[in-house]
Amino acid sequence: MTARVTHGSRIGPIIAIAALLALAAAPWWTDRQGLRLLGEIYAYAALASLWNLLAGYAGLVTVGQQAFVGLGAYTLFGLALLAGVNPLWGIPAAGLIAAIAAVPVAALTFRLRGAYFAIGTWVVAEVFRLGAAQFSALGGGSGTSLPASVLAAIGNRAAREQLFYWLALALAAATILAILLLLRSRHGLALAAIRDNETAARANGIEVDRTRLAVFVIAAAGTAMIGALIFLQKLRISPDAAFSVNDWTALVIFIAVIGGIGRVEGPLLGTALFFLLRESLSQLGSLYLLVLGAVAIAVMLLAPRGLWGLLADRLGWQLFPLARRLEPRSSAPPVPAATTPAREASP
Amino acid sequence: MKGKHPEAADRLAPAVTRRTVLGSAGLLAAPAIARAQGAGRPIKIGFVNPRTGPLAAFGEADAFVQENLAKTLAEGIRIGGRTHPVQILARDSQSSSSRAAEVASELILRDKVDLLTAASTPDTVNPVADQAEVNEVPCVTTNCPWQPYFFGRRGDPAKGFEWTYHFFWGLEDVIAAFTDLWSKAETNKVVGGLFPNDADGNAWGDAKLGLPPALAQKGYRLVDTGRFQPFSNDFSAQIAAFKAADVQIVTGVLAPPDFATFWSQAGQQGFRPKIATIGKALLFPSAVSSLGDRGQGLTTEIWWSPHHPFRSSLTGQTATELCDAYSKATGKPWTQPIGYEHALFEVALDVLKRAGKLEPEAILGAIRATDLRTIAGPVKWGSGPVKNVAKTPLVAGQWRRVSGGGLDLIVLANPGATEIPIGGTLDLLR
Repeated sequence: MTARVTHGSRIGPIIAIAALLALAAAPWWTDRQGLRLLGEIYAYAALASLWNLLAGYAGLVTVGQQAFVGLGAYTLFGLALLAGVNPLWGIPAAGLIAAIAAVPVAALTFRLRGAYFAIGTWVVAEVFRLGAAQFSALGGGSGTSLPASVLAAIGNRAAREQLFYWLALALAAATILAILLLLRSRHGLALAAIRDNETAARANGIEVDRTRLAVFVIAAAGTAMIGALIFLQKLRISPDAAFSVNDWTALVIFIAVIGGIGRVEGPLLGTALFFLLRESLSQLGSLYLLVLGAVAIAVMLLAPRGLWGLLADRLGWQLFPLARRLEPRSSAPPVPAATTPAREASP
Repeated sequence: MKGKHPEAADRLAPAVTRRTVLGSAGLLAAPAIARAQGAGRPIKIGFVNPRTGPLAAFGEADAFVQENLAKTLAEGIRIGGRTHPVQILARDSQSSSSRAAEVASELILRDKVDLLTAASTPDTVNPVADQAEVNEVPCVTTNCPWQPYFFGRRGDPAKGFEWTYHFFWGLEDVIAAFTDLWSKAETNKVVGGLFPNDADGNAWGDAKLGLPPALAQKGYRLVDTGRFQPFSNDFSAQIAAFKAADVQIVTGVLAPPDFATFWSQAGQQGFRPKIATIGKALLFPSAVSSLGDRGQGLTTEIWWSPHHPFRSSLTGQTATELCDAYSKATGKPWTQPIGYEHALFEVALDVLKRAGKLEPEAILGAIRATDLRTIAGPVKWGSGPVKNVAKTPLVAGQWRRVSGGGLDLIVLANPGATEIPIGGTLDLLR
């Protein structure tokens, strides 16, 4: 029989819920800077988790997710500045528009494979950036600012910071929960099969393209909502900042790679490590970037499955009940009744 | 001297975290504080400037300017009978507007700065000012023409901003200085414009507020081929259009690499204007000398030079003395941002001295009442084009080779700033 539960993963959900509650109470135990930093951490954790879903599970190694960060940000600014919509509504609207835009993008880029797909997504993101630079109503290549009066509509300074914080936490938690539910579903099995061997998965009757499209659209919507929230706090948008391949893809890939691709826990550990490095070293200027590069190289050489991969392989740790293990029938310890019944792969 | 200065310590000890540096800097400064009677809490000035990335040349003088002021800062400021030491918390924007917003927010929320300052191009100044405005922190910025600063942030001339103030010149000064410069030579008055699709290019090329209407009014014909993407590798279309229209004067606002590309392609394709007056690209001697012989005779705007007849209100240095001190300390030729960066701290310290209280409202009140003669010229808000902008003088001039192999920038046109002496006559390009 197969089982997904380990000791760690059984107490995992309890820890996760306790941690979520503790984090939701952050406005009472940290100051505004703490909230701002945590909010940024959540945003990167969510972006990295979504990229991991694409690259680590669906085999879609994209370097163009900045297209959706920027699209989300521009949607929010456009609605707030040109249509006078409360910027908070811009966040779900960003998700919706990105989901719609993701379909033609997928139609174009899914024709490409491997490295060609990666470059193709980057090209699409550049097209988005150049398109935004032509959109003079939002400042064209100069970019534009969200005036203080627009933010005043949301509430006063303290209330705003708390609201943004909770939004970031909710978006990140929802992203990770959605990824977990997706991976535990029938589609999750299909994704695991595609990840391991696309041809075999196809031969077994898995609808590879449709599954990938669904994942791509979900990731686009999530990425755009996070992008909208990030730029709502930055207050200023420009094509170069909103569609920055460094900020929204290179760093995100760095996080996923050092944490561990193909595991839900990987990007979370990677985010923690990245922010540890950034908070302690970012004043060093170029040296800081050299350190990041060295860390990435070291992890790729010494722990190709990322740091979480290293821990999980050595210690059998698993925070979320996802991996399926074979359990010998005879000597198996009594499995508690709470064990999720193992599902059969039935595409 | 170096150890007492927090940012100098920051750079000297890369292995320790910012927190420990601030802590140890505090310890080093402790004797000085103890000597002063009734020592108050340190006053924090946040300063955002690009020190790495494509705009790094603007931040080259950061370390020098702050060390030059170390003695003044160590003396502290007396407010209500207490002496407060002053700390400058300098942060690198990495030439990115996103990063600038991030460090500005950190300075406001984590470091709780009393006054936020920033310099160098809309990409640095605007995001910092936006964060200050929303978080209600007094903010003074410089080193960016006022139109991209004010209109780029969706400023309303009738209302202005509440917390953010800026001093620099504007496009009207560029237009006046450039056309005055061009009038000194015989040309057919046909001007080719190079305006990229970025914050500066859009402002300079703006059909209502930029160069096009002003040049037309002064009798020049502008050939504008439209906004192009910065960092293009091909200017053939522009060069062909300029040749077809018999353009004798080229102007625009370009990043140094873009101008280098344009200028070498113009040479290859046989386009030889009589005058090339370019903003932003020709500010730094390094950029001009990289053009080799073809850098000779190019003309540009000059916001500050050793020949400016102003003095620092803090150190008493003249412009020439400050430039000499920079060259002596770093072995590099002077650059224009040195004067404005120094002036920014002059304004910041002057404001804090007059504030009376370390409250945001009091500091804001002091900014509004500023009337200071800085090394970059007089700074006084209230008489500018909009309430948040104070204007400083602008002139135009030409890069010339000097004996000894270096390049010098000679002032040739000074309309509206006659106190800055003219150093020669315009040589046409060959």
